[in-house]
Amino acid sequence: MATGTVKTGPQDLPPSGGYGPVQFERIKLRQILSAKSTLLTYAACTGLGFFVMFYEYRQIRRERVEQLSGRFAIQALLQAERDRQFLKQVRRNRDAEADLMKDYPGWQVGKLFDEARFIGDDPDKFIEPNISEYFAHARCVGGFLHLFNYSLNV
Amino acid sequence: MATLDHVLPTEEELTVEEVNLGTSLLMAGANHLGKYCEYQNNEYLLCKSELKDPRKCLNEGKAVTACSLEFFRNVKKLCLQEFNQYATCIDKSSSSYDYSVCRRTQSVFDKCMLDEMNLPRPSFGYFTEVKVHNTKRPKPEPEPIPHYPDTPAPVPEAVKPKYGHRGIFQS
Repeated sequence: MATGTVKTGPQDLPPSGGYGPVQFERIKLRQILSAKSTLLTYAACTGLGFFVMFYEYRQIRRERVEQLSGRFAIQALLQAERDRQFLKQVRRNRDAEADLMKDYPGWQVGKLFDEARFIGDDPDKFIEPNISEYFAHARCVGGFLHLFNYSLNV
Repeated sequence: MATLDHVLPTEEELTVEEVNLGTSLLMAGANHLGKYCEYQNNEYLLCKSELKDPRKCLNEGKAVTACSLEFFRNVKKLCLQEFNQYATCIDKSSSSYDYSVCRRTQSVFDKCMLDEMNLPRPSFGYFTEVKVHNTKRPKPEPEPIPHYPDTPAPVPEAVKPKYGHRGIFQS
């Protein structure tokens, strides 16, 4: 079926005088740093880096201690204020619950269907309310902003 | 939730005059304040750590706030300009109220405090050191050892294995 045409004419031959030489040898890249100087540079950079880091870290540590010292000095003041605010809110929560559930017959404030919060709960012992209890009567946005007040609990 | 049995202080008992100052001002006066009110601060923090009850440390807390108020009133009366200068520097020079960037204003403030209130700046890291606090507070009673009536009796000697038992790593 394939009725190919038969090639005629002169055969392809190398150029006159032959092909040029072929490069077989590997050509190396131009060397900038030798192995020895690379290692030496690495060691020098690392050593200097560590020295600067430790030297600076002493200063950073010193400043951190000073900062911490200042914060410890006002810790009592902040905590005292926070305690008062916290107790006020606990009392407000209790009043709000009593007001909210006053129409429910037989409701006991601070208990869930006559079950105390903890077994053997001692009224003389103060157990800090957890976060959902503390914000039970708060609006979402207002309560969220007061998270800071709660988080100062140290 | 607090029941009606829990004794909670009333609103009036909890309302005292607070120190209405921002963080930069508190941080600026912190070191001298801590030295000025050292006794009250230690009493209050000792009470808190001993009793772990905010209701029982209200008086100590009020003493702390009163002492701090007195300190800041004195500063306002005697070293207001230097204090404001220092606090402004602390407020505006860094994001974390760093002391290290305000040495010049600090030295001016320190000098004023030493001259006017006779209150030297405490040594470096003074409030991070461990100190002994001399107090008249009664020692808290140790927590009673709980007694459980249904504890099983100890195993008699005869039941125990005679030659020990298999070790943990022996199988």
